[in-house]
Amino acid sequence: MMAVGCAHHDIDRFGAGAFRATPRQSDLMIVAGTVNFKMAERIKRLYEQMPSPKYVIAMGACATGGGPYYKFGYTVVKGVDRVVPVDVYIAGCPPRPEALLEGLMKLQEKIQGTPVIRKPKRTA
Amino acid sequence: MDFRAIHDHLRAIDAPGLLGSDEPRPPSKEKKDKGRAGDPYLLIDPQLLPQFLHVCRDNPRLSFEMVMDITATDPKKDGEHFWINVQLISVRHKHRLALKCLLPKAHPVLPTCTTVHRTCQWHERECAEMFGITFVGHPDPRHILLPDDWIGFPMRKDYEFPREYHGISCE
Repeated sequence: MMAVGCAHHDIDRFGAGAFRATPRQSDLMIVAGTVNFKMAERIKRLYEQMPSPKYVIAMGACATGGGPYYKFGYTVVKGVDRVVPVDVYIAGCPPRPEALLEGLMKLQEKIQGTPVIRKPKRTA
Repeated sequence: MDFRAIHDHLRAIDAPGLLGSDEPRPPSKEKKDKGRAGDPYLLIDPQLLPQFLHVCRDNPRLSFEMVMDITATDPKKDGEHFWINVQLISVRHKHRLALKCLLPKAHPVLPTCTTVHRTCQWHERECAEMFGITFVGHPDPRHILLPDDWIGFPMRKDYEFPREYHGISCE
């Protein structure tokens, strides 16, 4: 994620480089590491603090499915999708910067395909 | 000092709780001995561990002024003992020492070492939550890594994983 933010890969080319330090100003949460039980409740609270519409990317093996801690990690949540709904999963341990950009573009596609609910026309 | 000299010196000053010593040895076919790798260690009585650390710290020829680690080991699922492992280091004399204590699983209680080295607080807290070992006299006996309402001692060999925690499934 650091590499994606820096000049070589440059997340700003996709208009996605506006990192925010608070969930109240963000619409996308990238879960970029191992989620344990202590952290899971905080992640859920952060997700609920985000304004709708909101999206979640699970980045890397740990966040998508527990990763190497799947079998013997007694405090590791086996995928962040058990806590919050996830839109895009990115594979890799750690994912390449290109993979994260691909995930972002997938999410943009997903958002573009979402039907917009229009107000019904007023009659009389 | 090397290990043998430290051991002899501790014997000479009659350190409290010193039970024995063990050194690595090569395997031998005649004696049907598998040998042992690793570091030499001293075997200590766990109930006298603080007194022993006190002697090690204040003796000018040893001056083990730092505890690097206090951990425990659960060697066998149906075994009767935990190991308590302590690593001491002397910055002044540039030597180190490994200690081990056998602690019965039925009654895993030993006095705290925080009276001698305040560094031991976090090590003992981790040891307590992971193995269920009670350190009598610890000034702050809370959990350190696990959540406060955690059930069970994860580093024990007979630990069973939780099926769910606060509504999050672990299956």
